[in-house]
Parts: sequence; structure tokens; C-alpha cells
Amino acid sequence: MGQYHTQHMSIRTDNKWDWEIGSKTSWWGTSLPDLWAYRHLASGLVRRDFLLVYQQTILGPLWVLLQPLLTLITYVVVFGKVVGISTGGTPPVLFYLAGIILWNLFNDTFTSISSTFRDNAQVFSKVYFPRLIIPVARLTGYLFNFGIQFGLLILVLAYYFIFQGLPVPDVKWLLLAPVAILLVGTISFALGLFFSVLTAKYRDMNYLIGLGTRLLMFLTPVIYPVGYVSEKWRWLVQLNPLTPLFELFRRALLGQGVVTFPLFAYSFIVTAVLLLAALLIFNKQGDKLIDTI
Amino acid sequence: MSELVIQIEKLSKVYRLGTIGTGYLLQDLQRWWTTAVRKQQDPFFQLPDAQFPNATQSQALWALQNVDFEVKQGEVWGIIGSNGAGKSTLLKIVSRIIRPSAGFVRGRGKVSSLLEVGTGFHSELSGRENIYLSGYILGMSKAEIRAKFDEIVAFSGVEKFLDTPVKRYSSGMYVRLAFAVAAHLEPDILIIDEVLAVGDAEFQKKCLGKMREVATNDGRTILFVSHSMQAINNLCDKGLWLQHGKVRATGPVNDVVNRYLIDNQQLKTKQSWTDPNEAPGNDKIRFKLVELIPQLLQPDAPLDIRTPLTIRFQFWNFTDDILISTHLTLFSYNGDCVFDVASTATICQKGVVSGECTIPGNFLNDGSYYINLYVLKDTTINLYDYEQCLSFDLEDYRTNIQWYGKWWGVVRPTFPFFLTQTHMALP
Repeated sequence: MGQYHTQHMSIRTDNKWDWEIGSKTSWWGTSLPDLWAYRHLASGLVRRDFLLVYQQTILGPLWVLLQPLLTLITYVVVFGKVVGISTGGTPPVLFYLAGIILWNLFNDTFTSISSTFRDNAQVFSKVYFPRLIIPVARLTGYLFNFGIQFGLLILVLAYYFIFQGLPVPDVKWLLLAPVAILLVGTISFALGLFFSVLTAKYRDMNYLIGLGTRLLMFLTPVIYPVGYVSEKWRWLVQLNPLTPLFELFRRALLGQGVVTFPLFAYSFIVTAVLLLAALLIFNKQGDKLIDTI
Repeated sequence: MSELVIQIEKLSKVYRLGTIGTGYLLQDLQRWWTTAVRKQQDPFFQLPDAQFPNATQSQALWALQNVDFEVKQGEVWGIIGSNGAGKSTLLKIVSRIIRPSAGFVRGRGKVSSLLEVGTGFHSELSGRENIYLSGYILGMSKAEIRAKFDEIVAFSGVEKFLDTPVKRYSSGMYVRLAFAVAAHLEPDILIIDEVLAVGDAEFQKKCLGKMREVATNDGRTILFVSHSMQAINNLCDKGLWLQHGKVRATGPVNDVVNRYLIDNQQLKTKQSWTDPNEAPGNDKIRFKLVELIPQLLQPDAPLDIRTPLTIRFQFWNFTDDILISTHLTLFSYNGDCVFDVASTATICQKGVVSGECTIPGNFLNDGSYYINLYVLKDTTINLYDYEQCLSFDLEDYRTNIQWYGKWWGVVRPTFPFFLTQTHMALP
């Protein structure tokens, strides 16, 4: 077990002791040095999850690419050809691929973090380490997956730039793509933390999460551009803090997307508030949950 | 040696029976509203404590209640108590896994806990991967594991299967590997919960050897929970006896273990009657006294396998000129008859007949026993069978044997048994 760091010194400030365990649960929880001491555990968990997912599969890590590719084909056929949803001026393949990989980052991270307590009940009740390590490791793992898929997107983009004469976007805009990715990752992390507490307490939350993410996808510009939503309903889509980020991501890479500074600022503030609130709740409730799970 | 490393003060842990949290989102929100926002008392639960006099006792289970004790640098504490006494709860709180309901634990130095063998192991991963992963979970750094890797592998004895997924290991190999990682932790304070319950005898020996080494050579502070009083007695120097969440006794390990054992022994050592009408028996025989007299080495020691036991009995005989003999049978608690001894047969007159039989020490194995007495006429006809008239437990006792598994056999005699070297050279 790692170094204990002094907590709850409010009752008696006594420098004789390195650590103190009291009945008060803390809002701030684990200190950063404590988390840092367990960095190897986080990387070990990322490695484990990666090994586990692809063990005993024929194609192995290729699935990281195959999954978005197969989804892409489905979307191009169903939404592009059959239903005929417009993708604006962008080639459908690029439009859908960008949407799919960013949505996957959100969906996978959120879903997996939201089951932190249920999945790790056994380990949590037998050994102490900062509980936050598990969600951090999961986020890192999915960011890594996203990186691979992003590489695929870049290759497809390069093809369109070179052979199809798609205009190369401005460097200024390109630099905003990582910002969008980071914020989407943060929202999924924060929501995941929040729901991990809820799913540990109330089992029915699991069903809600599956349903909720599917509904949320339709309120996020994954398969349609915001510019093509009727004025009357656009506010509903733009209420979703993910919307400006998806639009920003496409605007940065593909040169098409509706994003204004106020919309982006709205997303940013919502993300920051969510993250702070989720961290507080996760830390405060985490200790109590060990008694329940 | 005298430096305090753990101080436990008024430590309490209460569990609410039934569900923790009301289990309903609506009620939980209502509770949160009243307690956190309006700063009023919890409408659904109150701590049954002096601070809240109107609390209901029946809703709460006190796993620990006002536990105080102090651990000094280098001490090895054995924590004993029956199931549900709060031993594991105490270890979990000190390990920082669960929070106490009240009170404090203060300490100095790095704490490692081994509450389960193989925490963090994943069956799909190879032995090598698992060594690293469980090492990280137990709080080791990458450099630490790397430095000890060969030692861990050697201790576990699974060199050949290092790259095989552990799901293909035998359960023995799995446990050995898991313990090997834990055994190479180097914390200041080590917390161990009943790890001896797993593995074969050879492995247990290895584990205990390692623990002894850690305790004596490295001067590490250890808190150790076990149900094996032998292991506790041999490994620990201080004992803490918990009963129903409270400290029943602390002190030198032998004293605490003895007190615990005496308290737990289910003794029925003496029964006597003054009025024949109330005594067990029939119109021919009625018992007046049955008594078990142990010849203890020390007055406050529990009965153990070394103790000679004398059984004394008296009964009223209501018939003249009758040839009486008695049989004494000893049964182990699973119902096996250990022996059946017959007394001499004597012609008796009306009055009181007495008998005495001694079971020597160093003869019975440890365990629980009961005694039946049979009174016979003409050595064949049963006059009265007095079943389970006495019962007692014998504790284990071993010297110079570093193994704490259950000793085989119904009896455990110490026959003369010698080993001598006859030749110095091999053929």
C-alpha cells in the first residue's frame, strides 16, 4: 500500500503522526502526490485492459480500427444512401468517420467509468489505493484507442486532400482539434465518475445509462451537421455541451461546422463545472460506497 | 522499540442492518435534503449512541465499539476472537479500506495489507503480468518489483509457467505466486488476515517461515489475524482479543490466548445432586456426582493435550448383593468412539458406589470430547446409561514444530520414537 497522506487534521494537529484515519469523508479525497505514487498501477491497468480485450481474438488489436470502419460502412449505407441525410459539403465517409470516432471516445469512456465501483468491488474491499486510479486508467486507455482511430482518420483525410482536392484546413483551426478531443474526454470522465456513484447505489441506473447514451447520440451531431437542423429545434441540440465540441472537431479537420465562441465557452464552462462536481462527489461518496458494494 | 507507530482511539464502526442507504433514490434525496441542507437529523436512521438517546438499538450492528489500543515499533500483534468479533473490520479500517463511524487511527510509516491472497490477480493474464499488476495494486513501485522479480519467482516456484495465463495454473501454484508477491512487500507496518487458511501444509510452513523472518529479522510491525492459536502463540508477542466489537483483553500473547481459550471451552466438568429424586438414573441406579478433574500444570491454563484428566463419579445403588461394573466411553464430537474402558466388577450393597478413571496426558489429540458412563449388572445387563455426562475441549500444544495444520489422528500418543545415524558414508 502506498504512503498515507495526512488527512483530516482538523481534530488534532499533531505532527507526530504521518497519517490519520477518521470518520469524516473528504470532498477533496486523494492528494495529487498520492495519485502520482500509484502511476505505475494506472499504466499497469491500461496495459491489462488492452491485453484482455484482444486476448483470444483472431484479429487482435485490429478491432480498434475494424469497429469504427464497420460502423462507418453501416452509416454511409443507411444514413447516406437509404435515408439520405445530408452531410453538407463534406464527403460522407469523412463526415461520419470523424463523428464516429469522437462519439466512441465519449461513449466508451463514459460507459466504462460509470461501472467503476461495480466492476472493482472485490478489489476495493480488499486493498486500498486511490479509487480515482481506475477511472484515470480507463480514460487513458480509451484516449489511446482514440489515438489509433484518429490516425486512421488522418490517413483518410490525406487521401481526400491529395486525390480528391479537398481544401486543406487552416493551421489555426487544426490546433483546435486537440482541444475538442480533450474536452470530450473530460466530459465523459466527469459524467462517468458521477454515474459510477449512482450505479453502485442504484442498480436501475445501468439500464438508464444504456438508454441515455443512445438517446444522447441523436442529440449530438454524429450523423448530421448542426447546420441542417431546423432553426426551431436547433436550441435543443445546442443545449448539449458535446455539440459545439463535435462541430469544432469537424470544423478544425474538415472545414465544415457551426461553432461560435459563445457556444464553445458554454461547453467549456459546463465541462469544468461537471468535472469539479464529479470529483467532489466521487471522493465524498467513494469511502461510503465500500460499505455498500 | 518503544516508539508508537499506531494509535487507535475510541474506534467504532456501525453497520445498519438491511440495506445501507435506503436504496431508494427518492428517500436518499429526502435524507440529503434534511441532513445536509437543513442540518437536521437523519429522518431514516440515527446512531444508537449516547449523543442520540432516542436511537433504536435494533437497527444497528456495532462491528467495533470504542476500541483503544496502541502498537509500538517492531511489535507483532495477534488479533483473536470468534467469527464476527470485528477482527477483519479493524484490519480494514487500519488498511484505510473502510472508514470508521467514530474515532481515529493514527500512524506512522507505510502500511501494506494482505487481507486476501491474490488481490488484483487476473486469470487471463500470464504469471509475469500478474506479478507486476498485483505488485502495483499492493503499492509497490515498478523499480521495486523489478529488483525483486527473480526472488518472487523463486519463492513461488512457478518459473516454467511464467508466461502461461494463470487460469491454467493449479490452485496451489496460483496461491503460491500470489503469496510470493505479497511476501516481498516492504512496508513499515504489515497487516495480515488469515492467510494461513489457504495452501497445503508445505506452503503454510513457507508462509509462516517468511512471516517469522520478516518479524524477527527486519523488525517490522505486524498485525496478524488468525484462528490458529498455535500460529498466534508462535509468531506474535502481543495479543488483542476482540469480542462483539469490544476489546476483551490485551497483553502478552500467551495470557490473552489462554484467557480466550478458557472462555471458549465448552466445559461440563462437574455435576452433582443431593436429592436422589432429581438425579439422573432409575429405580436401580441414580447418579450423585460426575466430575472431570484436570491435572493442570498452571492453575489458569486451558486444558491441552498434555493434561492428564481424572474422571470421578458416584452413584446411589438401590439393590443389595449385586455385581456391578462400569464402562466409560470417550467420544469425539463427530461421534467416533475413541475408547471404551471397563472397570473391575464388584459385589455392592445398598449405598453409594464411587469410581475413578484417569486418562493420561499426551494421549488424546486436540479436539472436543464427551464421556458416557454405563453401569452394568453381572457385566452384561445395562442398569443405566448416562450419556454425555461430561464434555471438554483439549487445545493443541506443540513445541519446536513449525507447522500449524490440524494434527492427524484420533489419538496423539508420544510413543518412543528415535532416529539415529548408523553410517556416515553413502554406498
